[in-house]
Amino acid sequence: MSFRDEAALILRGARMQRRVIGALIIREMHTRFGRHYLGYAWLFFEPMLLGTCIGLVHLLRDSPSAFGPFEFYAVGYVMYFIFRGILNRASSAIPMNISLLYHRTITLPDIFFARHIIETASVTGVMLLLFFVLYVINGDFPENPSKVALAMIGMALLSQGLALLSAAATAAVEGIERGVHAITYLVLPICGMFFLVEWLPDWLQELALYVPMVHLFELLRDGQFGSRFRAVYDLSYVAAWILVSHLLGLAALRITRQRLGLE
Amino acid sequence: MSLELIDVHKSYPTRFGRKVVLQGAFGRIARGEKLGILGRNGSGKSTLVRMLGGVEAPSSGQIRRSMTISWPIGMMAGFQGQLSGADNARFIARVYGRNTEKITDFVADFSELGDYLRMPLMSYSSGMRSRLALAVSLAVDFDCYLVDEALAVGDTRFGRAFAAKIERSGLILVSHSPSMVRRLCTRAAVLDHGTLTFYDDLDEALATYNAL
Repeated sequence: MSFRDEAALILRGARMQRRVIGALIIREMHTRFGRHYLGYAWLFFEPMLLGTCIGLVHLLRDSPSAFGPFEFYAVGYVMYFIFRGILNRASSAIPMNISLLYHRTITLPDIFFARHIIETASVTGVMLLLFFVLYVINGDFPENPSKVALAMIGMALLSQGLALLSAAATAAVEGIERGVHAITYLVLPICGMFFLVEWLPDWLQELALYVPMVHLFELLRDGQFGSRFRAVYDLSYVAAWILVSHLLGLAALRITRQRLGLE
Repeated sequence: MSLELIDVHKSYPTRFGRKVVLQGAFGRIARGEKLGILGRNGSGKSTLVRMLGGVEAPSSGQIRRSMTISWPIGMMAGFQGQLSGADNARFIARVYGRNTEKITDFVADFSELGDYLRMPLMSYSSGMRSRLALAVSLAVDFDCYLVDEALAVGDTRFGRAFAAKIERSGLILVSHSPSMVRRLCTRAAVLDHGTLTFYDDLDEALATYNAL
């Protein structure tokens, strides 16, 4: 096969995959929210409501030094919602969609990609709304929106890698999904949503930076109010997590696919 | 263009030991051929259908496809209960890169579901469901149609449309009913105790099957 043939083949495959993922997104949207506008509103409402609650609780409780607790915690929680939304739904993705595989152009990763795009897009919408509200209320706007965007993309990709792994694990060993649900909550105190690295004692800073999400929250806050604190993050560390989790996750899904259907 | 089985083995664990469906099957189905696969209940027909359809992988060996094969006709593969019949049809059209309007028009015309096409699938009666599923299956063109078990293909509207469709392309019919195989197929294979034997002569296949 010549280079041109090969390139044409890859291009055709990419086009087909885009088509399939597009079809899956529409199907998933209709299924999850019905064909009602209220349904679509819920997509935004859930993270918005939770993010606002968390923000308000902290508004009443304390005030982390230089920035308003509401914009610190509410925005943080909304980003955490990407992780929660993607990972919590991962275990049901295969059992709920197994009959889709009769259409051989649909692959297991396609099913995950479609869901994750919906999840990320909805949280992005909430984030934009939140920033708009904050701007109207107190004139605050992120100092560097592209850093905020990068943090969200990083969070989506990291969650995706972990979701692929957890879905494969759930398919192999029944019951693991309960553990995954627990992990999404256990991760809350250590993921960086509630703190800045510079608030921690030195020995704890070093430990915290082993958690990939801490770097993403630092990046998020750097984008929000970077001039008011010293952000600590290493994006190459996050990239390594994303890469490794994707490689392992996709490989594990391949094995899962081979074993599917055995009852 | 064909479907080829190359030393296909398949077994899966059950509570009472391993169930063997195939042990070293070879065979080739060319485009346009009408093949019947006969097997008694419990011989592993459904597993074989899932393997031919590409949902389940063989334990070892290879299934090589160089033609497009449908999902089992009439099966609601990937249909969602909360979605309307039309939404489900559009989804299938998108997945196969077909024009969504053309497909829904065909489905509306063929299924005769009328306004129900815009109602959620879960509100359908079983008759309506099967009409929708058959209509969608026929709306997309394939080189070979895969049929699992008894399908009401008598002298009905669907039966005639189906017959015309497979006349132009091919058919793999997996069934326990010799009469259906005789009516629709030109070649047959028998699945028994892990062995899949192909016969070029239909009568020979049916005789072997009846003697099982």
